[in-house]
Amino acid sequence: MDRMDSIPPEVRRLFEASEARRQELAALPWEQKIRIVVGLQRMAAPILRARGLDVMPWELDETPEEAART
Amino acid sequence: MRVLNELQAEGVIGAYAIGGAMAAIFYAEAVLTYDLDVFVALPQTSGGLLTLAPLYAALSSRGYEERGECVIIQGTPVQFLPSYNALIEEALASANEVMLGSTPTRVMRCEHLLAIAVQTGRAKDRDRVRMLSQQSAVNYEFLAAVLDRHDLRKRWTEWTQSPLR
Repeated sequence: MDRMDSIPPEVRRLFEASEARRQELAALPWEQKIRIVVGLQRMAAPILRARGLDVMPWELDETPEEAART
Repeated sequence: MRVLNELQAEGVIGAYAIGGAMAAIFYAEAVLTYDLDVFVALPQTSGGLLTLAPLYAALSSRGYEERGECVIIQGTPVQFLPSYNALIEEALASANEVMLGSTPTRVMRCEHLLAIAVQTGRAKDRDRVRMLSQQSAVNYEFLAAVLDRHDLRKRWTEWTQSPLR
């Protein structure tokens, strides 16, 4: 039996929507994905530093929010 | 990327290509990474050695500092990896020429990224294989040939439960 068979249909639809969203994200232009990466780096850096990891978010001209505004 | 192109034009490095997570992101969704891995073909020294020292010296002369295993280039930690085996050499030779903004650069083919992940064999490489397999337009005929050339087909089948024809 497929493991997905045991999942309620409404939850399965959520999983499928999530997967479709990931495919959309994968299809974004590389420049946009790099801006997303830097946004993730900035969000994760304080948490990782608190764990003692030495991380350095990259320097870009603009954040995803700034890019979205332009 | 401009700095890499300058270094190549000056002969400090030979061919280069972006690999690792940032190359995977070219083909799949963005994920958290702090690494920019750049694979480089290095000119041989007169003694026949492959060394990153001339590259590091050229970067230092431009004011870029070493930090751990990376060099910080315009705010981005870049890890340079010399071409260390036949698979990497092949990946460098057939990397895709792409534009990042107005700057040309080279990114390894996704089939080579998959083969390198299988060869490297860490837990995060399994994740990369899964992500690229699901989200990128893999040329499976090309991939099968790469895996065969580098004796990686058995591990690919173990990892993916998906034998290639």
